[in-house]
Amino acid sequence: MTEIVMECKNLWKIYKDIVAVRDVSLQIREGEIKLIFGPSGSGKSTLLRCLAMLTTPTKGDVFLRGECLTKPGVDLNKARARIGFVFQHIYLFHHLTALGNVELALRHVLKLPKDEARKRAMSALEEVKMEKWANYYPAQLSGGQQQRVGIARALARNPDIILLDEPTSALDPELTGEVIDTLRDLAKKGTTMLIVSHEMPFAQEVADEMIFFDEGTIVETGTPEHFFTNPSTERAKKFMMRLIKRTRRE
Amino acid sequence: MEFLLRYLWDILQGFIVTVEVTLFGAFAGLALGTLLALGDLYGGRVVSILIGAYTEFFRGSPIIVQLFFFYFSIPSLLETTFDAFAVGLVVFALNSAAYQKGYIKGAIAVISEDQMMAALSLGLSKIKAIFYVILPQALRLVIPAWSNEFCSLTKSTAALLVIGVKDLTSVGLRISSWHFRYVETFLVVAIIYLAWVTVVTKIADEVYERVKIPGIEISA
Repeated sequence: MTEIVMECKNLWKIYKDIVAVRDVSLQIREGEIKLIFGPSGSGKSTLLRCLAMLTTPTKGDVFLRGECLTKPGVDLNKARARIGFVFQHIYLFHHLTALGNVELALRHVLKLPKDEARKRAMSALEEVKMEKWANYYPAQLSGGQQQRVGIARALARNPDIILLDEPTSALDPELTGEVIDTLRDLAKKGTTMLIVSHEMPFAQEVADEMIFFDEGTIVETGTPEHFFTNPSTERAKKFMMRLIKRTRRE
Repeated sequence: MEFLLRYLWDILQGFIVTVEVTLFGAFAGLALGTLLALGDLYGGRVVSILIGAYTEFFRGSPIIVQLFFFYFSIPSLLETTFDAFAVGLVVFALNSAAYQKGYIKGAIAVISEDQMMAALSLGLSKIKAIFYVILPQALRLVIPAWSNEFCSLTKSTAALLVIGVKDLTSVGLRISSWHFRYVETFLVVAIIYLAWVTVVTKIADEVYERVKIPGIEISA
């Protein structure tokens, strides 16, 4: 078995009186692609943010290559430098060009010299086929192009894992394709990824495991095959039916 | 108006004092206001309360009272004296900082927490995120408000005459009372103020246009 890259054990996130994440445990191994799906508001984004330590979990532990990130005294900046995160609403830095966005962490987190940072940023942009747009500002790019820059920004540091929070759901339907193509390329290269997504044909193609998430917790896990043919829980069955219907309509 | 030509040198001296106080006040106020805004947002509760008290004092009392306070009250408590011009510089910087803090805090709020989260997600520390992501955007957005603040600051500096600083207004008052020629003198004084404010705000507008981030503007 390959090494476990990221793991969480009995993870909880509780806001005042809302339980957003309820006792979640999961593992992602080197080169694995896991896909989380489930109704909106079920806590998927919160789970991802807890795993990236962008929000502090209330209870439970997160591990990155065996190192516990949830115990006091951990240098979270260092840990986050090894985790790539792609946001649903992209959040590119408005005042920097595409290249500037990708370069920032290479310069000021990895502390690479200017030329090397630029070279690596360009090659990350090439990976998402955005090198021609290197000197454009976010507001001058389409949503799909922005998200590809967002992906380049996340992967330029060569993180151990990339977490993607619904990378296509804020885009116009005709723009999702280019982002999905980019993710497919990453999958082929063996990038370790945990993706929240409802792009079912894509899931079927690349996911090693799918995780059905509802009301803050994992309801059912299995291969894409399992979910497309015979999910065991009633909730997953109903949700799959709706997704498949929607996909057909598109 | 020829009599004013005789006092050209005095008027110029007064104008230079006004220029010094307004530029120092507006720029030192920007620097200090930025620190206050950051302290207020990221410094925790106690810091935020202290900054609130500071802001209330400088926004809630007349500038003349503030000048008296720093020129008469504090030195008398310390049994010393302060130079009037230095007091002018300090008071206008502190006063302007109180206003500019509000503008900068507002600009940071426009940029919102998402940018901070994106920066943290890359492994940047909070301080680096502020320096490389938040401030470059906030300071661009705040230029029009700074320009406004410069106008109002320039006009308030006329209050300097109450502590005996020889600024433009104070020089004008002296000349006009020697000759009982109030109309011409203050017309000229007013035009000089207007010209100064116009020049600086035009420069600020130009800078704003040049550094503007494509697609990001504060809607009027």
